[in-house]
Amino acid sequence: MNRENKKRKYDKRYFKTHPCTDSFTCKVCGWPVVSAGAGSNHRNHCPNCLYSIHLDNEPGDRSSDCHGRMEPIGVWVRKNGEWAVIHRCTRCGKVASNRVAADDNPMKLMGLAMRPFGSRMIARADIKELTRSMEGA
Amino acid sequence: MKDDKDNKKEFRCMNCGWVSSEDMAGEEPEHCPNCLAGIHREDEQGYECGGILEPVGVWVKSDDEWVIIQRCSLCGEMHLAPVAEQDSIIKLLSIASKPLSAPPFPIDRLEELTKIMGGRGNIK
Repeated sequence: MNRENKKRKYDKRYFKTHPCTDSFTCKVCGWPVVSAGAGSNHRNHCPNCLYSIHLDNEPGDRSSDCHGRMEPIGVWVRKNGEWAVIHRCTRCGKVASNRVAADDNPMKLMGLAMRPFGSRMIARADIKELTRSMEGA
Repeated sequence: MKDDKDNKKEFRCMNCGWVSSEDMAGEEPEHCPNCLAGIHREDEQGYECGGILEPVGVWVKSDDEWVIIQRCSLCGEMHLAPVAEQDSIIKLLSIASKPLSAPPFPIDRLEELTKIMGGRGNIK
């Protein structure tokens, strides 16, 4: 185990090839997070508030000095039909996408997906105008 | 080639082939108002890319400010582009509703699932 710990400390690319099984407390919402149950060997974000921390430049390299909070700003559907969360660093503005984990809060995910539909940007009058103009009245 | 020189003010989308009308002439938009895709000219390190930035999502920054989330089809980098006034609202909503039509969990058991994972929340 000692050898493994040493490797982990000094090998810059350790987490690119090895799973990270550390438990942590979410810095944003305080949720205690364990690595099990994510359906992935690399837990990226808190399953409760979906926030992430900006640690990597490339997946697993732990080389970013930013360490800012990464806010979930949206979800999108990948080609294989899976959802991925889009994160934006509140400190440096980097945007990254990450696969949803098996135990992510479904309510929060749904809330993210629904956000554009409860906004003032789509005016009801404009939509009425669409059908009206088509009818030629 | 000659065409390009003649219609310098006209914007032709490289992705969908949409051409801007004359009254909309002005500076070239960053993304196509019709298909919301752009060209990924340079990546974060400043290297040339040239892939198509496909719109994948919408970020509601504030009530009156939306941002299109684009992803390069070639290198996979994510890019943010503010929604312009002439952008197609229908295309925007179509992109935003894509996740809703393909949920990864059964929607009718949403509350139950949230409780199982120990989270809070209810649908009213």
